[in-house]
Amino acid sequence: MYVYLYDNFLRHKRFAADIKTMEIRLTDYGIAGKILRINNYTDAKPIIEDEVKRGAKTVVIVGNDDSFGQILSRAATVPITFGFLPVGPNNSIAEILGITPGTLAVDVLSRRRRQLLDIGWANNWCFIGQLRIPPAKVEVTYDERFTVRAKDLLEVVVCNLKPYVFKSGQPSDPEKIVHPQDGKLEAFLRPLTKRRWWGYMGEEPSVFPFEEMVIRGEKPFMVEADGKVSKEIKLTIRLAHHKIDLIVGRERQF
Amino acid sequence: MIFQKPAPKLPMPMVPEDQLGGQPVRDEIETVVGPSVNVEGDFVSEGNIVVKGSVAGSVTTSKHLLIEQGARVVANVRAGSVKISGDLKGNMKIRESLELTATARVIGDVEVKVLVMEAGALLYGKVAMLGIDGVEGKPGRSGSRGASKRSEEFQPLEIIE
Repeated sequence: MYVYLYDNFLRHKRFAADIKTMEIRLTDYGIAGKILRINNYTDAKPIIEDEVKRGAKTVVIVGNDDSFGQILSRAATVPITFGFLPVGPNNSIAEILGITPGTLAVDVLSRRRRQLLDIGWANNWCFIGQLRIPPAKVEVTYDERFTVRAKDLLEVVVCNLKPYVFKSGQPSDPEKIVHPQDGKLEAFLRPLTKRRWWGYMGEEPSVFPFEEMVIRGEKPFMVEADGKVSKEIKLTIRLAHHKIDLIVGRERQF
Repeated sequence: MIFQKPAPKLPMPMVPEDQLGGQPVRDEIETVVGPSVNVEGDFVSEGNIVVKGSVAGSVTTSKHLLIEQGARVVANVRAGSVKISGDLKGNMKIRESLELTATARVIGDVEVKVLVMEAGALLYGKVAMLGIDGVEGKPGRSGSRGASKRSEEFQPLEIIE
């Protein structure tokens, strides 16, 4: 049995046509199922666990990167197969998973090509796409072996599935994209140096693949992971191998 | 000037992603120590390492280590191969090759198979190149104590015929 978790933004009428076409295709394939609408404040884990008890075999997330991250960051530990139907803008994870937006995503779902994916654990919650610490005075210790410091502020981005996009200090420079690799978490550390008059300028980032890292700050620092924001003073990030059973496309990038 | 016609927005030329400087797909895991970043401790990596900032402690990799111009490394190094364009203070044990470019400044003993030095590169220390059969004793052992008394300690290699 399939359960479809629709993100709240799909209520907007501009997505109605896409959703309708998808639902028709799902019915054609015989994989239509129960539809549940998730809003920003809903914890997906108990909902999915209830559905598993009722006999659900596959949970399909319908939405964008934020919906994917928000639902899986809570429900990654539930032993069930997950699928993803990307709808609307902001869908970079779907591309990495080899899922084309639109009705072609239904074809990918129907083929059920499954893959076990890694997830990142930050203290006691998990993230799928990316974890970001906005510029703060922090120091990073890798695998309890070496410590990385910057003279001033440091921006930290830990990528699992989502690529790292950054822009150098020069406004004319194009954006650079670095795709993370599977099997390791990759941390991008970008020091910020003070400009002569005001503001900060981002420098070239450092890249460290790792299994475990500890970030410590003199003061509590912000942490954003898959749409969830919190404040921490010490953050331990580690990789959990093969935790999520996910339906992926043939053109996946790993 | 206020009523000046805005400049026409020209379409951006289509440039492949590779040429934009992005790395869409990388073959190997690469560690990059960026400029104005300080690394302290036992720096160990499974893949290639690029150093543009400063490193203190020790550096270990089975693959390639690149120390770029402007980088400062105060560490003992163990690597598959090394290319240096910056400053390094410490002993090196390299499995394959060491390349010193014109801007390289190295203080420390080196144990390597192949050494390539560009004109202008500075190296102060004992160099032991493995590969000569019949050399008495193990080269580079005495030199591992440091590079300060290098000229007094220097002894020519004895080759047994």
